[in-house]
Amino acid sequence: MNLMLSAPSLLEKIAFWVLAGGVLGGALITVTRKSSVGALMALVATFCAMAGLYATLSAHFLAVLQILVYAGAIMVLFIFAVMIMNRDEENPIALRGLFVRTAGVIATGYIFYRAAWIVVHERQTDVLATSATLPIPNYGNVASIGRLLFTDFLFPFEAVSLLLLAAVVGGVLLSRPSRPADGGGAV
Amino acid sequence: MPGYHYILVSLALFFIGTAGVLLRRNAIFVLMSLELQLGAGSLALLTFARGLGDQRGHVVAFFLMALAAAEAAVGLAVMVAVYRTRKQIDLDGIHELRN
Repeated sequence: MNLMLSAPSLLEKIAFWVLAGGVLGGALITVTRKSSVGALMALVATFCAMAGLYATLSAHFLAVLQILVYAGAIMVLFIFAVMIMNRDEENPIALRGLFVRTAGVIATGYIFYRAAWIVVHERQTDVLATSATLPIPNYGNVASIGRLLFTDFLFPFEAVSLLLLAAVVGGVLLSRPSRPADGGGAV
Repeated sequence: MPGYHYILVSLALFFIGTAGVLLRRNAIFVLMSLELQLGAGSLALLTFARGLGDQRGHVVAFFLMALAAAEAAVGLAVMVAVYRTRKQIDLDGIHELRN
């Protein structure tokens, strides 16, 4: 991608539109599908296309992590959950309080329409216009992100690792079948 | 491509996720829509990081990814526990925490 950053070339445009269409189409299929497994596969496709978008933003490390973590680990977790409670819905859209929910969706749609209008209106600013060259030579690769993670963001990094540990232990504790005999204290 | 294209994709993705959270009743679909919303957030973060030439946006997106993993683990564990006792995961049919 480094060779194509001088101007939005035809190849870059094609890549962007294909990936953006994949992201939005996959998201729509995910939200509207009846069967859980079909929605999960659409979600995997969405995350793979999103990793491609990250790569076109020259965030290579995050693109690889997106494939590994989202399309790998989190999706396996979802597949196990679907295996445990696989129930296709008869009517996927909730009927109770449908008016309030639809009003909420319309209101959010209006908010996002206004936000999109602002973004289009401000598209000539430096942040939103195209950046012709990479800001620094090895922008977004593993070495520079890793150096940032282990210097400036060392404490948040360790805190996030503790958060993940707490979440996994909590998940095991929640989903374990409760046995009243052991008193629940010993893990 | 200009950055505002990416921001528009991110906005549309977040809107689809919001509609999924509001309209679906199956808890698994709600959790998947939440993942879509988090992905839209990190797409916007990476776009602005590219526009500003600041790699700290990548670090925040990395933390967001870890947060999404933690959220999926805890949310799915809660849903498995609810399913074990109630035999359903329809969010409209679960009133245990009301009142």
